[in-house]
Amino acid sequence: MGRNVAIISVGYNGRFISKRPDINIPELIQPAVNNALSKTKLKPEHIDAYVVGNMHTFEGVNQPHLWASDHFNGSGKPVMRIATGGTTGASVYQAAYYHVASGMYDVVMAIGWEKQDEGDSQVGLMGILLPEAFSLFHFGPDTTSDRGIAGLGGGGSTGGAAFQAMSYLTRANAGIEHIDRVAALMRSNAAKNPYAHLQQPGCTEADIAGTPIISYPLRFGHTCPTSCGAIAMILVSEEKAKKFGLTDRVAWVKGLGSGTSDATTGNLIEGQITDPAEQQICKITAKKVYSMAGIKDPRKDIQVAEVYSGFSHQDLMWPERLGLFDEGMAPKMLDKGVYAIDGELPINPSGGVTSTNAIGASAMVRVGEAALQVMGLAEGGHQVQRKIENAVAHGWGGLFQFVTITVLGKTPVKK
Amino acid sequence: MNERVAIVGYKQTKHTVDSPVARERMIYELVKSLYHDMGITKDDIDTFVLASNDFTDGRTISEVFMVPRIGAYMKDETKVEADGLNAALYAYLRILSGLYNTALVIGFSMAGSEFRVPLTQAYTMDPAYERPRGLINFYSTAALQAGAYMKKYRFSDEDLAQLTLKNIRNANNNPFAARKEPDASVDTILGSRPLYLPLRQAHVSTYADGACAVVLSSKKTAKKFTDKPVWIDGVGHVMDTYYVGDRDLLAMNHLTAAAKKAYKMAGIKNPKKEIDLAEIHTNFASEEPVLAEAMGLFKPGSGKDVVKNGESAITGALPVNPSGGPLGANPINATGLIRLAEASAQLRKEAGQNQIKGAKTAVVHAQDGPGAQLNTVFIVRR
Amino acid sequence: MTEETRIIESTWDLTAYQFKIEADALNLFVKGLKDKKILGRKCRVCGTVYVPGPTYCRKCLVDIDQVVEVSQEGRLDAFTVSLADVRGKPVENPFISCTVKLDGTDSFLMGVLEGWTDWRSVKEGMRVKVVFKDVTQGALADLSHFQLI
Ligand SMILES: [Zn+2]
Repeated sequence: MGRNVAIISVGYNGRFISKRPDINIPELIQPAVNNALSKTKLKPEHIDAYVVGNMHTFEGVNQPHLWASDHFNGSGKPVMRIATGGTTGASVYQAAYYHVASGMYDVVMAIGWEKQDEGDSQVGLMGILLPEAFSLFHFGPDTTSDRGIAGLGGGGSTGGAAFQAMSYLTRANAGIEHIDRVAALMRSNAAKNPYAHLQQPGCTEADIAGTPIISYPLRFGHTCPTSCGAIAMILVSEEKAKKFGLTDRVAWVKGLGSGTSDATTGNLIEGQITDPAEQQICKITAKKVYSMAGIKDPRKDIQVAEVYSGFSHQDLMWPERLGLFDEGMAPKMLDKGVYAIDGELPINPSGGVTSTNAIGASAMVRVGEAALQVMGLAEGGHQVQRKIENAVAHGWGGLFQFVTITVLGKTPVKK
Repeated sequence: MNERVAIVGYKQTKHTVDSPVARERMIYELVKSLYHDMGITKDDIDTFVLASNDFTDGRTISEVFMVPRIGAYMKDETKVEADGLNAALYAYLRILSGLYNTALVIGFSMAGSEFRVPLTQAYTMDPAYERPRGLINFYSTAALQAGAYMKKYRFSDEDLAQLTLKNIRNANNNPFAARKEPDASVDTILGSRPLYLPLRQAHVSTYADGACAVVLSSKKTAKKFTDKPVWIDGVGHVMDTYYVGDRDLLAMNHLTAAAKKAYKMAGIKNPKKEIDLAEIHTNFASEEPVLAEAMGLFKPGSGKDVVKNGESAITGALPVNPSGGPLGANPINATGLIRLAEASAQLRKEAGQNQIKGAKTAVVHAQDGPGAQLNTVFIVRR
Repeated sequence: MTEETRIIESTWDLTAYQFKIEADALNLFVKGLKDKKILGRKCRVCGTVYVPGPTYCRKCLVDIDQVVEVSQEGRLDAFTVSLADVRGKPVENPFISCTVKLDGTDSFLMGVLEGWTDWRSVKEGMRVKVVFKDVTQGALADLSHFQLI
């Protein structure tokens, strides 16, 4: 494998919130870039290349990095745009990793953002399936009732997530109360993260259970907000990390991978063969990443996880699919307190995606938060106090089909 | 780490302005036949890098239904949202890192029949000022550049027509090109519909339905796939500033910087002498002399002489776009990748009627944004 | 928000596109529905049975030419109960959307589940059968729903 790469800085534009009508896209990005730079001694001229991305259909600007390049200091520099749906942020960061690992660049900045107040996220989301919906309408679906359409689209407004949630609960022999419980934990974790969007200190299971059910077993309290925000990270080679005198407080990239299956929900047009609750691609990718990172037993070797859960049941499902718990054991681990910030294997000390979701940033925020945990720099009380040697960050996207996984650690893999 | 990366397979569709099949079928057939030609299966590919754009595809996360069509089911995959040459660049970096040995790169679009290109281009402009004003767009930027070049260097409408004709004729002999105009002449070009003068319809690239796929391999595994590897010896990509008014559209300094990086990496000191052919991503015929000169292939302002002496013709000293270039077919997102495939064909002596004799080194170029804001340059050698 | 900030209205017009779609799988499927059959395609290499059946196998990346008629009974996989609309207003008649794996197939079909009185008693793994409309016309609507057996 390539040379060692370290994340030396993670910057945010500020707290993620639902509306920023006072600024435009470039102005949203710029503070995150400056924040990442300010945490190091680096200046814009030290950055060799930029990798950037968001979900541009959400804001209605095609390839907005062209417009924003001056604002992130990209003009005159190599700039690459990556976009892969929900996994965008992590895909951007992974591309930045390869920029450095290849030996071509020494200092690279990765930027992910979303300004969801600017466009219409519903149009953006509908756009995933619109051509397929058009196809179905060519073949005479039942349009006389909601049921005909829901039957085709899968589970109404929560899409296939409700199917996945039900499948998961059945397999884990768990109930909706477990989803309520994990959702409450995430919102209260978020209250300790100054950058999180939905902060509810002391949020309880009952608070979540009080929100209406949309499509059983998913409630409003199980869904994520639409947030505005940006994140920037700086990645450097091992040589540069040493040169900058930055080897103590860095997070080394030890393993990474990005995988795909097929469209696992809503694929009525050509037969859906992949089980969305099984998440075979997550298991395949995790295995590959762990072997690269020299992780033999993820349960022992990994001390904290940041997983991408657009819906709260996934905060139970992903840690299992990532091999952190046995299948079906997550609800029990949650009940035993393992998930908590002071637990044995804290899951999403940041509050996760159900508390903050600026889509193009979210998967990079998972990596950034994992990096901050490894560096010991997580602010506002969400820093895990136990000794962290390794952290895993996960991203999820597409039509339930893309996965990105990264292991970060305190010490680099020996070459 | 891998020290050298080669193109070991390439294939493009027969581009058309109205594909008889949907994009899913188009890329499935293309990739399957590429694997077949190479005698490999999808399992020989370590990582897949797509190039597409949700705006030009008209759907969010446009790759969701495409990835199974290229053999990426349950495999490692990612997507670049820029011209396909940037996807090749990313695949190149992935292989250099040593984590992968082989990559499939694919770019595609249905720019010929499924959407109006100027509309998706309009969404590139900043939504507060340029977009509502509508004055600055891809066409008008190219026209400003063309006008400036023509005025400064006495490059006449006839010269531009001659240059366009060279590309149309090359496209006529390229079986993959969508544009077929055997009767084209300087007069038909000069008489074509005026758009943003000096630009006319005949100068515009042919927005097409099409796809291109390329297989890259590390040096370690290249032998397994072909005895005619085409080596990627230099790369460079540089972004220019956004506002067109802030750029020097004639000098194209950022393209020069990208090209210089690639030349330096490849050990090229005198590009004009050492390079045997260029495949350049031009959205308009008028961009050819400007971009070629910025890359140091011709003397600044020499466009008139280059056309007159036939220097950039297939039989010339430094052929530019022997394939006909994007004037023959411009399936957005695939266009720059097609340049890489065409250059590979030339270096492997597989370019048919448009074959250049003894070509050993080629420069390949791709662009994104109005007036080529982001430029990507590859040096490839046989 | 300051005086210097303005909001600009703009849209992304998805109707500006005309999409070409691949119709093989759905064509075959609705053709079968007209005759009250469920038709799919089976890969000769790996044996995967797809319903609706595309003309290629995504596991093997090969063409599929084998049309198969599959069982009209199967296993209830995942399901969800629609209890409220997008604004959280309770719906008058809750309904169940489900995914079903018909016997001998490898793909999940989606539809509406009937034949239950209390949705709390519905469980994954229950047996279901396809119910067609009385009069079929070769349209997706011909498949009325899945019925608990
Ligand atoms: Zn098969």
